[in-house]
Amino acid sequence: MKNLKKLFLVAMAVLMLGITSCTAATTVTSTVTNTQTVTETKTVTVDPSVTVTDMTGRTITLDQPATRVVALTAADCEILYAIGAGDTLVGRGEYCDYPVDVMSVASVQSGYETNIEQILALKPQVLLMGTMAQTEDQVKQLEAAGVHVVVSDAQDIAGTYQAIEMIGKLMGKEDNAANLIKSMKATFDKVSAKDTGKSIYFEVSPLQWGLWSAGKGTFMDEIANLCGLKNIFGDIDGWAAVSEEQVIERNPDYIVTITMYYGEGPTPEEEIISRAGWSNITAVKNNAILNLPNNELSRPGPRLADGALALYDFVNK
Amino acid sequence: MMDINALAKKNKFRFLDYAVFGVIMLIVFVLCVAIGSVRVSFFDTVKVIWSAIWNIPLPEELVNTSSIIVSVRLPRVICVALVGASLSICGGSMQGLLRNPLADGSTLGVSTGASLGAVISIAFGITLPNFPLSGTMVMAMLFAFLSILFIISLANKIDGSLSTNTIILIGVIYSMFATSIISLITVMASDKVKQITFWTMGSLQGSTYTNVVILSVVLLICGAVLLSLSEELNAFAIGEENARHIGVDVKKVRLIVLILVSVLIGVCVSIGGSIAFVGLVTPHIVRMIVGPNYKKLLPASIICGATFLMLADLIARIILNPAELPIGVVTSFVGAIVFVIIFYRTRKGK
Repeated sequence: MKNLKKLFLVAMAVLMLGITSCTAATTVTSTVTNTQTVTETKTVTVDPSVTVTDMTGRTITLDQPATRVVALTAADCEILYAIGAGDTLVGRGEYCDYPVDVMSVASVQSGYETNIEQILALKPQVLLMGTMAQTEDQVKQLEAAGVHVVVSDAQDIAGTYQAIEMIGKLMGKEDNAANLIKSMKATFDKVSAKDTGKSIYFEVSPLQWGLWSAGKGTFMDEIANLCGLKNIFGDIDGWAAVSEEQVIERNPDYIVTITMYYGEGPTPEEEIISRAGWSNITAVKNNAILNLPNNELSRPGPRLADGALALYDFVNK
Repeated sequence: MMDINALAKKNKFRFLDYAVFGVIMLIVFVLCVAIGSVRVSFFDTVKVIWSAIWNIPLPEELVNTSSIIVSVRLPRVICVALVGASLSICGGSMQGLLRNPLADGSTLGVSTGASLGAVISIAFGITLPNFPLSGTMVMAMLFAFLSILFIISLANKIDGSLSTNTIILIGVIYSMFATSIISLITVMASDKVKQITFWTMGSLQGSTYTNVVILSVVLLICGAVLLSLSEELNAFAIGEENARHIGVDVKKVRLIVLILVSVLIGVCVSIGGSIAFVGLVTPHIVRMIVGPNYKKLLPASIICGATFLMLADLIARIILNPAELPIGVVTSFVGAIVFVIIFYRTRKGK
């Protein structure tokens, strides 16, 4: 057991270097280039158990990679599909909606309404959940019923990598997870830019319902900074209702709205342009408004890279 | 004991009272236009408004300021004032009509009913062609009226009186019921969760001059009729039996008042979301100042309601700058405290 832990630590170290790895490999230390072959032999020769440390620091050990999983957060569902483990999903949180396949998986309540019975009825080995609105008691109840609870709690891009890596390991898909992280990193490298001197405003809720924007500590803010853009509400923590006067005063060069368009009335972009008093905002003058309605910039999952790329293309078109 | 003369004098229209109320309201109005999230000097504020009225071109550096003051802040402050005035006259009228000091759009479930109507229109995409917000507004009005009708007839069936706690109890229960249906719709129409959630939070942000016109017209018509009924409301306040005895067409007056109240609350809710406490608290505060005569109570409620809500909105706009606080948080917080203080003092004095 102790040996295994040691190996795990080494594997973690290798992963952190950004190199594809595998965990239970007996000879990881000897040579990195050998990992591929080791992976193949692993299944027959090595103890198949997996141990992961989840994002609240709890250690979870499974006899073998999980084959029945319930994931409560939309991001974790996306990660499972992205690493090719979508078929292990036997239940999903009610708000998980991507990719389309996930909609045919049994839905369970999540957040404040988390229903332990619903989850247990699906007989999962592992429950993936976030920290928001989940409680210690729920964890205890589930563990008592023999379900391994693994918590993912990514607050930034680095955290997202950690979640992908953790889930990859849990499912025995370390290689896919590593490749996914690698491709995300490549995308983020591509979009990275020095300070462009331009500013951006993220509109989370349109004026009609009261303006909401994303401040410090959100993925939108992080990705904007990565692209060399200054978030005009970077001085606010998290999500907040913001002052319309301030949007006009801070005069953003770009606007990103996440309002969904239902095919009637003006599109979200048109609606922003038509607002009284907004016509002098640079973004409105230049028609530099982008609509990203599919949570690309808010979920700690693989599509963060897509969102960043969309923003990059939009800014550099 | 007050002698007859003093009593008559107290009931008389006193110009000074209105002048004082009016001046306070104007000062608050100017304050609310001059102060905001973005700091603009008083001189510039006056200048951009003046230029906008007379269509005078502005120097380049004031164009943005003009957008902020003329297109954003001014219509919002006016809308807030009109909503405050409307909700207060509604609360005052209902308290008189039902002879119930706790009657108000929020306690009787009328606001929640209006919200339900609006949520249904959002969820099922009910709109009148060519009018983007009209579906929400009409549904809000309709549901406000149906709710009030339902609550009052049920209360009437149960104990034949509208002044008891029964009606408030039914109102509160109806409110919970309507809220549960709103939640149910929210769960079912999962693609519009965001819209509905944000809508129920309510916001006077993004008020336009169109909203100002709608609110003004509605308040002018409904308010005028309600004011003209203040004699009847006085009679109701003593008792329905009394009103009947002195020749008031009880059924007709009640129906008219209820329709007007529903229209006003429906329009307010569809423009600004449901704002608690204004309609309940303002008439009480006013009653403590001008007395229970509806001839004075209703006009004073209009002025004080506008003043109160403008101040609440000012706090909501600037306290967390550049973020904003929902106005309902301020009205409930301030309203509850003010109410308890005044209530305690007057009751203790007795």
